[in-house]
Amino acid sequence: MIITNASAALDVGNLLGSLPGGVAQGLIWGIMALGVYITFRMLDIADLTVDGTFTTGGAVAAMLILNGMNPWLALVIAFIAGLAAGMTTGLLHTLLGIPAILAGILTQFALYSINLAIMGFASNKAIGVDTYALSISSRYIMLAIITGIALAVVLIGLLYWYFGTESGSAMRATGNNPEMSKAQGINISAMKVLGLALSNGVVAFAGGLMAQYQGFADINMGRGSIVIGLAAVIIGEVIGEAILGHHQNFAGRLSFVVVGGILYYLVVCVVLWLHLNSNMLKLFTAIIVAVFLAVPYLRSKQKSSFKRAGRNASKEVQ
Amino acid sequence: MTKFSKMIAGSLLAVALAGCTVGGSSSASTGTASAASGTSTGSASTAVDPSKMMIGVVQLVQHPALDSATQGFVDELKAELNLTDANFDIQNASGDSATCTTIANAFVSEKADLILANATPALQAAKNATTTIPVLGTSVTEYGTALGIKDFSGTPGGNISGTSDLAPLDQQADMFTELLPNAKNIGILYCSGEPNSVYQVTKVTEYLKAKGLNVTAYPFTDTNDVAQVTQSAASGSDALYIPTDNTAASATETIYNVTSKTKTPIIAGEEGICSGCGIATLSIDYYELGKTTGAMAAKILKGESKVSEMPVEYYKNPKKEYNEKICQELGITVPSGYTAIAAK
Repeated sequence: MIITNASAALDVGNLLGSLPGGVAQGLIWGIMALGVYITFRMLDIADLTVDGTFTTGGAVAAMLILNGMNPWLALVIAFIAGLAAGMTTGLLHTLLGIPAILAGILTQFALYSINLAIMGFASNKAIGVDTYALSISSRYIMLAIITGIALAVVLIGLLYWYFGTESGSAMRATGNNPEMSKAQGINISAMKVLGLALSNGVVAFAGGLMAQYQGFADINMGRGSIVIGLAAVIIGEVIGEAILGHHQNFAGRLSFVVVGGILYYLVVCVVLWLHLNSNMLKLFTAIIVAVFLAVPYLRSKQKSSFKRAGRNASKEVQ
Repeated sequence: MTKFSKMIAGSLLAVALAGCTVGGSSSASTGTASAASGTSTGSASTAVDPSKMMIGVVQLVQHPALDSATQGFVDELKAELNLTDANFDIQNASGDSATCTTIANAFVSEKADLILANATPALQAAKNATTTIPVLGTSVTEYGTALGIKDFSGTPGGNISGTSDLAPLDQQADMFTELLPNAKNIGILYCSGEPNSVYQVTKVTEYLKAKGLNVTAYPFTDTNDVAQVTQSAASGSDALYIPTDNTAASATETIYNVTSKTKTPIIAGEEGICSGCGIATLSIDYYELGKTTGAMAAKILKGESKVSEMPVEYYKNPKKEYNEKICQELGITVPSGYTAIAAK
C-alpha cells in the first residue's frame, strides 16, 4: 500500500494519451528552467528566489487578465515583475554582502507576502479559459504545445543572441572566473544583479504561462520550482551529452534544458500512470534528480587522470 | 567519456519499455471492455455499464478531512453502483497545484466517466481540463469564488457541480444568542490570506449584526502574529468567533493560551478549532460530505440527473457540538441538543 495504489489496470493507451498534457506542462517548466540555467550555469549561483518569482509571475498575470488586460501583455508585465524580484536578490547579495543563497531565501520569503498582496490578499485566483482569451490553456493541449515550442524557440534565440553580446559575454566570464573578470575591468556586481534579474524575469514569465495553462494562480504554485528547474537543467545536460556528445553549441544546450523540463514531466506522467502511490511522488522525483545530479560527478571521477593512468598501467603489465 | 551517461539513458529507456510490457498485457482486456461499453451506450437511460466505469479522483493534498471526503465518495458510489476498487483511479497531488493539472489531464485522456475534484485547486484544474466529462467538487467552500463566477446563483452549470464544506453560518450565529446571551461585542478572528475565511466573515458579520450585536474583525496574517491579534481581540470583545480557517486551525493552542486567561468564550466554525480553543461549533462530517457527493455522482452516472442542472449541495445535518473542558472552565451551561466533542 505504501508504494502502489493499484486499482485501475495499466493501459498503454492511457499513458500515451496523457503524454501530450505532460509535454505541454513540461514545456512551461522547461522555459522556467532556462531562467534557472542562467543563474545556475552562467553565474554559478543556486538562486532560491525562483520559488517566489514563479508565483509572482502567475499572480501578476492572473490579476492583470482579471482586470481585462491582454494575456500576452500580462506575460510581459509578469516578466518585468520577475526582473524586479531578481534585482532585489541581486542587490541584497552585492550591495549588502548577504551570501547569494541567503539573499535568495530572503527574497523568496518576502515574496510570499507580496504575492498575497498582488492577489488582493487572496490565496487563489481563478482565470477561466471560457471567459478570457488566454494565450495557453490545458483545455487545448495541442495548441498549448505549439505555443510552448514557439515561445521556447523565441526565448532560446534571444538568450543565444544576448550571451553573444559584450554584456552577455561579460556575464559568462563573471560566472566562470570572477577574479579574472574583475581584473579585465568587468563590474561583476552589476553582472550578477543583471543575471539574477534576467533569470527571475524568465521564471516569472513561465509562472504567468502556468497560471494561464492551469486556469488559476495559487499562492503555493511556485513551491519546489527550484528543484524542478535544476532537474530540468541537469537532465537536459546529461541527455544532451549522451546524444550529441561535446558537439553542441550554446543554443543546443539551451534546447536540451527545455527537453529536460519535458522529460521531467513525462517521468511524473509515468509515475502517475503506474499508480505508484502518488503520495510518494516527491520522494520518487527527488531520487531521479539525485541520480542525474550525481552523474556528472561520478563521470568526472571515472575520467580522473590518475585513475586512468592506474588502469592503463595495469593493462600494460598484462 | 559518455559511456556513463549512455548507460543512464539506456536504463531509462529500459524502464520505459518495461512499463510498456506491463501495460501491454492488460490493454487487450480493456480494449474489449471499451468495445462492450460502446454497444451498451445505445440504450437511452443507463449511460455506461457500471463495471466498465472509470472514475478519477484528484485530491490536492493529504489531509484528514480531504481523505475522509474521498473515502465517503468512494464508499457511496461503490454501494450504489456495485463498483469495485478497479473502477477508481485515486491520485493525490501532494500539495502541488500543478500536479492537479497533470492528473486532471490524464483523466481526460483516459476518458474518465466522472472526475471528483477534492479541494479548490483540484476543482479549478479539472474544470480547465475538460468541458465534457462531469466534474464534481468536494471540500470546496465557495464555488463562485473558486470558479471565478461573478453572479453565482448556486448552480455552476456546464459540467461542474459538487458539494460545499461550508457549515450553515446563520445557525452558527444563532449559537451566540443561545449559549452566550450576555455577549454584546463579538470579535471575529481569522487569517486575511484565506479567501474562504474572508467570505465567511462577511456572511457571519451580516447575520450577527441582524441580531443587534456589535461586530469587530480581527484579521491576522500568519501563525506568528496570532497571539498578539488574539490578545487585542479578547480584550475588546465579550466573545469571539473563528470561521473554518486553516491558519487558525493550526494555532489553536496559541489562541487558547490567550483566551483561557481572559476567560473569553469562542464559537468556532469547525470541530478541529473547537476542540482546541472553542466552546461550541456546528460540525461538518467530511465523510458524510463525501457520501453526499457520491450520491450526486451516482445520479449522473445512472443518467438520472444532468450535472449542468445540479445545484451545489451543502452538508445537511450539521451536528451541534461543545467542548466539555472549556465550557466547565468558563462556567457555561450547555442546553440539550449539543454533544460533547470526543477526546482524541
